Amino acid sequence: MVDHPSDLRTPLGRVRFLGSARMGTTDAWIVHVTAVALAPLALGFVWLILDLLHKDYNGVRAELGRPIPAMVLLAFVLAGIVHMELGMRSIIVDYVGGQPRAWALAANTCFAALLALACVYATLRVAFT
Amino acid sequence: MAMSIAHRISGIALYVGVLLLAWFLIAASADASSFAVVSGFLGSFIGQVVLFLLTWALFHHLVGGVRHIVWDAGYGLDAPLRDQLAWATLIGGFVLSVLVWIIGYAVW
Repeated sequence: MVDHPSDLRTPLGRVRFLGSARMGTTDAWIVHVTAVALAPLALGFVWLILDLLHKDYNGVRAELGRPIPAMVLLAFVLAGIVHMELGMRSIIVDYVGGQPRAWALAANTCFAALLALACVYATLRVAFT
Repeated sequence: MAMSIAHRISGIALYVGVLLLAWFLIAASADASSFAVVSGFLGSFIGQVVLFLLTWALFHHLVGGVRHIVWDAGYGLDAPLRDQLAWATLIGGFVLSVLVWIIGYAVW
């Protein structure tokens, strides 16, 4: 790891606060953490959706009223939306430049936040009413 | 290289696909008539095609993600294994999607 013997900084010290936003590798780390969380959650989510698509209105509400399905759904939605917001951010940074980049980044964050709110609100409303 | 863009395309598909999930959940939280509209769309031919493509995007992205974790651990970067992993991702994602649909239609 030591390219320059005179450099006494640790590998962590070298990557901290790098980048134009001074965020270092935080975003990349969060993408990885959410990815690892999403692998099992996605399987649970697919299972849940298969179940829900075979139910009618009352059946869906009863299913989402149970704690485990509701929590799997909420965990998947929250981790998934954080993951997709960061993924789209890296796509925007790669393909969009200048002033449009700022607008695209803002739109991406707002879209993700609204979707997260809508999904969480709707799920909790079904679960608690 | 082609697999890199496929990972992004499947990611973008899922990004848009969350709208469908939000619609489904909002309708389920509202009333039976709004739920019937979503249910009708998902049951239609177009709805089923959209759902299948989203299933495929999800599993392609999932298997591709596992491949990235394997790479991060320092494995699978050499020439023969690298190509085999690319094919495994492409085929594995599709096979898992078809499997889920067989379960959904025939077994459930």
